[in-house]
Amino acid sequence: MFCEKSIELIRELHRMSDGQLPAFNEDGLRQVLQEMEALYEQNQTDVNAAKAEGRADLIPSIKLRHCCLLRNQRCITAYLYDRLLRIRALRWEYGSVLPPNVRFHMCAEEVQWFGNYKKSLASFMRSLGGGEGLDITQDMKPPKSLYIEVRCLKDHGEFEIDDGTVILLKKNSQHFLPRWKCEQLIRQGVLEHVMS
Amino acid sequence: MDPSEVEFLAEKEIVKIIPNFSLDKIYLIGGDLGPFNPGLQVDVPVWLALNLKQRQKCRIVPPEWMDVDKLEEMRDLERREDAFTPVPSPYYMELTKLLLNYASDNIPKADEIRTLVKDIWDTRIAKLRLSADSFISQMEAHAKLDNLTLMEINTIRSFLLDSLNCMYKLRSNLQPGSSKGQLTDY
Amino acid sequence: MDTQSYLPVQPGVGMEENFLSLDDILLSHERLPARTECTFPRLGFLEKTTDSQDITEGTKMELPLWLSKGLYERKRRVLSVELPKVYREGWRTIFKADPNVVDLHKMGPYYYGLGSQMLHFDSPENPEIAQTLLQTFIGRFRRIMDSSQNAYNEDTSVLVEHLDCLEKTLFRSGQSGLNSFQSWEKGQASQLTASSLVLNYRKRKMTDIQP
Repeated sequence: MFCEKSIELIRELHRMSDGQLPAFNEDGLRQVLQEMEALYEQNQTDVNAAKAEGRADLIPSIKLRHCCLLRNQRCITAYLYDRLLRIRALRWEYGSVLPPNVRFHMCAEEVQWFGNYKKSLASFMRSLGGGEGLDITQDMKPPKSLYIEVRCLKDHGEFEIDDGTVILLKKNSQHFLPRWKCEQLIRQGVLEHVMS
Repeated sequence: MDPSEVEFLAEKEIVKIIPNFSLDKIYLIGGDLGPFNPGLQVDVPVWLALNLKQRQKCRIVPPEWMDVDKLEEMRDLERREDAFTPVPSPYYMELTKLLLNYASDNIPKADEIRTLVKDIWDTRIAKLRLSADSFISQMEAHAKLDNLTLMEINTIRSFLLDSLNCMYKLRSNLQPGSSKGQLTDY
Repeated sequence: MDTQSYLPVQPGVGMEENFLSLDDILLSHERLPARTECTFPRLGFLEKTTDSQDITEGTKMELPLWLSKGLYERKRRVLSVELPKVYREGWRTIFKADPNVVDLHKMGPYYYGLGSQMLHFDSPENPEIAQTLLQTFIGRFRRIMDSSQNAYNEDTSVLVEHLDCLEKTLFRSGQSGLNSFQSWEKGQASQLTASSLVLNYRKRKMTDIQP
């Protein structure tokens, strides 16, 4: 049956329901587009025959191929759109710099889209708070205190805090740091929030 | 909503504290606080009370309802009645948790209070499930949520809304013609 | 973080599909027994049982829902679609007797979704089907709610396995309400945690490395 390749693309995304981004399936996408081209050409031939030779009996087949074209179109659109939703989520989960193994799974256009999203989010955040700017990716939970106790889960090198002091984030070391400086590193699994 | 956000809202409730320091009135966006005088009761929001308490700057006066006799009465009434009975505070659950965690030494019979409040909560949640079920099975279109608190609604909100949405869709199936003739999805 | 930032497009549930929803695309890939009511010239290669160049009139085929919907016409007979067993009268009687005994995962897994979609095809049984779908949902609601809130204090895995896709989503949303309340009760709600997406990525990286 037609449209088997395009449903494979959809299954591929559906299997990773937690929002992970699988590698961009360029090959699969090309195969779907090739099938669509073939369907379109066959329909062109049949439409011409139907018109020139009055072959109305070809109409059901034309319609079937047309349905398949639309189906492929829907699957591809949904595939690309769902990937964009995942890529947008990465900005909130990882921050503005993505690790190479995640970036590696995007196609060039997606990398560009991520860049644009990052920029519009940044300029929106700059415009908030009467020109002061406001980081809306911070404080996803209501803060209880300005400083929190954190433990390093892995070596992360030097880290500068508000007052200019530089501290060394070494594995298993424990620190008392401003909450807003740590939130992203906690999300990334570099630091662990220690509750008293 | 995340429960921590509900708790955040609860921290705006007012409690009485007895400070052990002096400080002039302070002026904040959310309203003026103080003045503070040692030994004199003063009203403050819960977030400030907990902060002062943690720094041993005050004693917290438990709210009137946080009392074993009163809570026992409420528990019994809640068990007797079919409907939800009025609660002493729209944030009774959150305040109980916050005050007992940070200031249990200021609250007489803290453990008993914890158990009683939990009993009341459990009874109410069981009622909430019961009424959600009869709401669905009788296909009601609206329901009164009198006397329910934010935290209670919050535990079941997304589940109930999703279920009602499904039921609405399945009910619209019964009226053919509403979306018939649109075979546009491939 | 409990709240995931990835929010996929939700399925349409009723008669209307959601164009971009992955769930709905998979639902509309479900196969239906159908019979052609006219000839489809030059498409014989789609039907493996014949060597004919065409799909002849009266051929029985399994067609995906999306194609059946696309080809079906009320006025002209192009295709007749058979009702899957689970929506026929025999099963409707079972659902009426006790909706809770049926393994909707095995019978579905898109019991409600596919059932709603079947209403697109003209059939005198449609009102009955719609009614059964609704009553089944209502009849199974209590068990899904109670078990998702763990009111029975029992192992729910068997029950969950028997749920239809839609019910499973509901079960999960009930459970996340309970879980977030319980973690608040234990005082963990204000703890900042690593993103589960990030952690899952790391897990995957580990398994990639291991042979």
